[in-house]
Amino acid sequence: MKRLNFILCVEAYLLRKGVAAVLQRIPGAYVVREFGAVDLMAHYLKNHAVDFLLICDTLFEKATDLFIEEPGLLERTILLKKYPVRPEGAGKFKEVIYLTDGKQEITAKINELLNPYFRNHREEPHSTLTEREKTIVRLVSMGLTNKQIADKLFLSTHTIITHRKNIIHKLGIKSVSGLTVYAIVNNIITIDEVT
Amino acid sequence: MISKNIPMCQAVLEHHRLLPLLPRFNIRLGFGEKSVDEVCRLNHVTTDFFMEISNAYLDDDYIPQTDLSLFPLGDLVGYLTSTHHYYLEVAIPKIERKIHQLLDGSALSEKERGLVSGFFNDYRKEFLEHVSREEQIVLPYILELEKQFLKEKPDGQFMKRLQGYTIRDFAREHDRLETSLENLSRLIIKYLPPFEDFDLCHQVLTDLADLVRDLIDHAHMEDKVLVPRVAELEQHLLRKFEA
Repeated sequence: MKRLNFILCVEAYLLRKGVAAVLQRIPGAYVVREFGAVDLMAHYLKNHAVDFLLICDTLFEKATDLFIEEPGLLERTILLKKYPVRPEGAGKFKEVIYLTDGKQEITAKINELLNPYFRNHREEPHSTLTEREKTIVRLVSMGLTNKQIADKLFLSTHTIITHRKNIIHKLGIKSVSGLTVYAIVNNIITIDEVT
Repeated sequence: MISKNIPMCQAVLEHHRLLPLLPRFNIRLGFGEKSVDEVCRLNHVTTDFFMEISNAYLDDDYIPQTDLSLFPLGDLVGYLTSTHHYYLEVAIPKIERKIHQLLDGSALSEKERGLVSGFFNDYRKEFLEHVSREEQIVLPYILELEKQFLKEKPDGQFMKRLQGYTIRDFAREHDRLETSLENLSRLIIKYLPPFEDFDLCHQVLTDLADLVRDLIDHAHMEDKVLVPRVAELEQHLLRKFEA
C-alpha cells in the first residue's frame, strides 16, 4: 500500500499525541516523526523526504526562516490553529485544521490531500459482498461445487470462479469451512441449512 | 511505554502483555534487580530492537523513536521466525486441543461438531501456508537485501528482482489471519447450542481472543517496523546502484 509521510511540529505534548493518533488512523497517512520544537524539525526536513508537514500556529511563527529558505514548503504545509472569528480559507497553506474540527472534518481534509496520490489504486479489501456474491457463499456453504452453482444460477463455471476469487479477496477467507462459518455469523445461512 | 533503564521486573509487572514476547527473544524470567537494558545484553538481544518491538506491541499509536536503521535486519527476521513458531507450536495446538475436548464433552450434533473441527483444521493449514510463504520467500529476501547492501557492488540479478518485487508488494498481499478466528468466537457465542462445560468454553474464547490480539499486534509490528525499515533499505540500495 502506498503511504504518504507526515511530520508533526506541535509544541503542546497532548495536542501532538492527539494529532498523531488521529492521523495514524487514516489509511495512507503515516506519521514518520514528531517534533515539539522547530530546530530539530528543520534539521530533519533537510535530510529526509517528507510529503507533508503539519505545524501548529505558534511554532509556524518561529519557523519563518525555514519557509523563506524553502519556498516550496508552504505547498506541503498544514497549519493547526484555533478557529478564527471569521471563517477564512486555507490561504497560502495547503490546508488548515482547526482545533474545533471533528473527526470527520479532519479525515475529510486529510483524505482530500491524499486523494491525488491514491486516485488510481485505492483498495477496499473489506467491503461487503454483493447480493450475487452472498448467493454464491450461501451455495458454497451448502456444499455445492462450482459446476453445480453455475448450473443453478445459469452462469458459466468460469464466472463462478471469478466470483469466488473476488470473495476471497474481499473477505480474506479461502476455505469452504471458513466461508461456511462466515455465512452463519453473517446470517447468510443458518446452521440447519449447512450440509 | 517502557524505557530501557527501568527494572525488567517492573516492565513486565506493569505490562503483562510483554510476557509472550520474552520467549521470542529467548529471555527467561528471574530478572532480579536487572534493568531492561541489562537483561537484553545478557541475552544477546539488541536493546533498541527489544524496545521498538515491545513498544510497538504495547501501544497501537506508537511511532518508532530510534532510527530504524540502527539494528540489524537479522534481529528482526529472527524475531519474526520465533513468533511464527510460537503460533504454530504453542498457541494454535493449545486452542485446538481445548476445542476437541470441548466438542467431545458436548451435546452438539454431528454436523455442528464437524463444522467447528473442520473449520479449525482448515485454519491451521492456511496458517501454515501463510507462515511458510513468509519464511521461504519474504524473510530470505530481506536477509539477501541486507547482504547485497553491504557489498561493494550489488548483484545485477538481485537488482532486477528488486525492481519487480518490493516489500510493499508483500505488505499489500499480506493476508489478515485474525478475521477467521473472530468468526469462530462469534459462532460459539451466538449460534451454537450452549456447552455444558462453561469453564472450558471460557478458556477457549479467552485463548482465541488472546491469539487475535497477538496476531493484530504482530501484523502491526510488521507494518510499522519491518516494512518501513526494509523499504528504506530498498531505496538506499537503488540509489547506491544508480549512483
